[in-house]
Amino acid sequence: MVTSRIDHKWGMVVDLDRCNGCQACVVACQVENNLPINDKNAFLQNRAYEWIRIERYWEGDYPNIKARFIPILCQHCENAPCEPVCPVFATYRNDEGLNVQLYNRCVGTRYCINNCPYQVRFFNYWHPNWPERLQNQLNPDVTVRTRGITEKCTFCIQRLRRGQLQVERRNGGELGDSTLRAGNHMPACVQACPTNALTFGDQNDAQSPIKPYFDDVNRYNIHHESERQTRGYRMLEDMNTKPNVIYLKKVDPNKGSSGGHHG
Amino acid sequence: MKLTRRNFLAWAGLSAIGAVACDVIQDDELSVQSPRSLPEDLVKGRDNWYATLGRNATDGEGVIVRVMEGRAKKIQGNPKYPVNMGKQSPRSEAGLQALYHPDRIEGPMLRTGPRGSGQYRSIQWEPEALDILKRELAARGNGMVLITEPLRGHLGMIAERFATSVGGRHLCFDSMDDTTYRAAVNGVFGESCLPDFDLANANYVISFGADFLSTWGSSTRLATAYGEFRQGSERQAGGSRGYLVHVDPRFSMTAANADEWLPITPGMEGYLALSLAYVIISEGYQAEGVDVNALTGGQGAAALAAFAPENIASQLGIPEQLHEEKTAAEKIRDLANNFAHHGPSIALGGGSAGAHTNGQFNLMAIYALNYLVGSVGSNGGLRFNPGAPLDSLPATASVGSMADWSKVASEIRGGNTRLVMVHEANPVHGLPASLGFENTLNRDDLFIVSFSSFMDETTVMADLILPDRVFLEDWGDDIPDPGPGYPAMGIQQPVVNPLSDLDPRSFGDLLLSVAQEMGQEEALPWASVEAALKQTTETLFAYGRGTSRDAGSAGELWNLMLQQGGWWDESATGPTPSAPAGLLNTIAAQGGQPSFAGSGDFYLQPFLHNSLLDGRNAHIPWMQGLPDPVTTVAWQTWVELNSHTAEAMGLREGDIVSVTTGSGSIRGVLYPNPALPPRVVAVPLGQGRRSGSDYATGGDARESSNALDLLSAAHLTENGGLAWAGHMAQVAPTGESLKIAKFEGIFPARQIGHTPGEAVILVTDH
Repeated sequence: MVTSRIDHKWGMVVDLDRCNGCQACVVACQVENNLPINDKNAFLQNRAYEWIRIERYWEGDYPNIKARFIPILCQHCENAPCEPVCPVFATYRNDEGLNVQLYNRCVGTRYCINNCPYQVRFFNYWHPNWPERLQNQLNPDVTVRTRGITEKCTFCIQRLRRGQLQVERRNGGELGDSTLRAGNHMPACVQACPTNALTFGDQNDAQSPIKPYFDDVNRYNIHHESERQTRGYRMLEDMNTKPNVIYLKKVDPNKGSSGGHHG
Repeated sequence: MKLTRRNFLAWAGLSAIGAVACDVIQDDELSVQSPRSLPEDLVKGRDNWYATLGRNATDGEGVIVRVMEGRAKKIQGNPKYPVNMGKQSPRSEAGLQALYHPDRIEGPMLRTGPRGSGQYRSIQWEPEALDILKRELAARGNGMVLITEPLRGHLGMIAERFATSVGGRHLCFDSMDDTTYRAAVNGVFGESCLPDFDLANANYVISFGADFLSTWGSSTRLATAYGEFRQGSERQAGGSRGYLVHVDPRFSMTAANADEWLPITPGMEGYLALSLAYVIISEGYQAEGVDVNALTGGQGAAALAAFAPENIASQLGIPEQLHEEKTAAEKIRDLANNFAHHGPSIALGGGSAGAHTNGQFNLMAIYALNYLVGSVGSNGGLRFNPGAPLDSLPATASVGSMADWSKVASEIRGGNTRLVMVHEANPVHGLPASLGFENTLNRDDLFIVSFSSFMDETTVMADLILPDRVFLEDWGDDIPDPGPGYPAMGIQQPVVNPLSDLDPRSFGDLLLSVAQEMGQEEALPWASVEAALKQTTETLFAYGRGTSRDAGSAGELWNLMLQQGGWWDESATGPTPSAPAGLLNTIAAQGGQPSFAGSGDFYLQPFLHNSLLDGRNAHIPWMQGLPDPVTTVAWQTWVELNSHTAEAMGLREGDIVSVTTGSGSIRGVLYPNPALPPRVVAVPLGQGRRSGSDYATGGDARESSNALDLLSAAHLTENGGLAWAGHMAQVAPTGESLKIAKFEGIFPARQIGHTPGEAVILVTDH
């Protein structure tokens, strides 16, 4: 049986002028997506991972110094560099704008991790462990990834699927901005963000708050960046990966002359 | 019929057709699962979302909890709750891991070994545990002290009445207490409830020491307003973006987000505030209708002449390299000009600004600025809260100041207090070691009861442990303080039952039943906390306002309150205070410089950890594993020094350094911070736990220390609060070093073309 489906193209807008670096998105993601606990050894071995992370950049020197916070998650690229290098087609682009990972197809070559310029793919070097009682909290909608598997942000696909099931298939409605909000179907990070720095929506939905930013950035490509009407840009845009995540520039009325460096 | 392969297939086919024909399968389950719906399998089951309160955070949040098959799965902000409006702090989700924590105390326990040894035997609630509790209350109730987390509403009332009825008293514990801030709010505005800040509609904000984007105040609410302050929809259309100035000796998360960060000599915030007031008055910058004469006792700017920028700028320690083209006095004059002319403006202060021997003076001077720019009770200014919906319910928690805790300690030592009851408070860890509270509790003539769900430094001293339910399993309520500017009461309902291997009992219900058995029905007549809440619902229904208007009966109102998370009345507003006569000259006359405890080359700036706070979340692995926003360190106590200072001292990242004050010494892992002022050493609270879960106590003393051990319990603000920001410290290498557990560097920045700084910053005219 084939059912008619509504075409979605999901996207996210990250407003760097709103983001205050508080990390609420990071915890919300870990809780929703059954991420293993980052114990101290994970940090010491450089293997701590977060599907969405906050990077902090220093700019300038004391006292004329700034810290810049940038949330980084899978950019769900249209031209995803991770996809063509997978020998087993474990990662592919679906028709809703998502770059997805099939855990049971992944054989752990880590080629995709090497090829991702955003460094948002993570390899499970160990089988994740939770004390028995803590396992009660695990989200039943999300697979616990085993050792040897690559994983990454899914735009909380389980929430979108639940939304599609409840709103579109049961009730005949459409999963748009208001229904995403009302039914708790927004990705966990977007829902949590206290400053509303993260906005999620459907690029095909004329009412979606993200649409004007995508339209603007799509209309004026990187060679016509100066003509853009919004603060929108794509991360590492000159690589032409065409992410479905758009960033809005931070505004700084007192910008210093010095460039940034990663601390 | 013989079961052959052919027959089996035929029957299987017929069964499937029959099932479809009989319509016993729902539509959803007949549709073919397309591979494009992968990779996540959707579990078919009904989840429920319940509204309740998040009590792990200090932020007074309303939450909704996803429950599936009897297990809590996710905590999210409650979109209807007026304080946090659907958003949440990074600390919110800690409640889930507390609920299913492997180290929860399973049932009542009685001490068998020496005090502090952690040797206990399990006992039954009835009759043994309750009999012991009643016996000790009857014998030692007079003079007892009940120490809880900050409690308001019904739980606050029950704790208060219980303690009083047995002849003792109730005192709330918060290691960085807000008594000085409250005293300042009371002194400037005459209000006992804390104000709400309308950042969303403000244009210019000066924050003094208050790390409001991380841990200070109602931080989720303020963060949401901060988002609007920056890029609210109306602002985007009009192009006016809020401008934030943060005055702080430490480069905090709020400093990192400010448009201007003004490092200042610790404790001089009040001088800067009065200097701004002087410029505003002497230049006539005050808002229309502001009676400067009334504010200054008829003296005008002369009342504040001693604080003129030219007189005090050199004492503030504003670095010369900060916007080098201007002198410090000119910078202050510019700040006053912008503050007065780019309104609506807000001056807010707290945190380190109030934690000095002159802390109350500092905060009063800061908050008084709001009168000059007309921001008291106005849009884009300070809103005041009307208090509890019912007079019988406390709208503020009776948090003890450092002076109160010294008194409690001396009463225990003097034998006047022979019974200590502790709930969700850990004073042994959270009070400065110099007070010696642990030794104070280590007395044979003392009986200690802990209602904690987890072992901690105070609980391990207890004779009797009666584990409480965690908040997701229990009834309760809260009156948010600071509130949203109108009366509100949040309801906490149990969303799951305790797991079968746990046997906790509700703290509130226990107090009620014990009080009644001891003949105190008159003060505490309710059968349970739930019954008390239901009775209040009837009173609220009789009010006929706010949420009550949407219900046809008290029963309907009860259901509505459970569904939406509480009761509130958006149409009611709080009071608009008017300035006490001669406010500014009175403050100026109090003006004193801070004094510092101990000696050393560095100003010590301890601060609340972004996720662990003072250590109360240290047993939650999610909170331990969450990198600090500025330094990105996790699981360890780090010591921040300016990068150049550290280099000059021959120190490198990861070196173990000792930090020593007149009251104690700790060790920590050095993190050279390029943004810290050269004479400041900053150390987070939160680690250094010695008893309890391995998650809290796993680090050794080189990398897990309690910064409160450095503080002098005798170094107080004017009204007895702990002057935790007023200590000098010495920093020295220990010769050891280890790898720092930090997040930065795990993902090397691969920049192509632009540096991120150049690529993402947009310069606009303010």
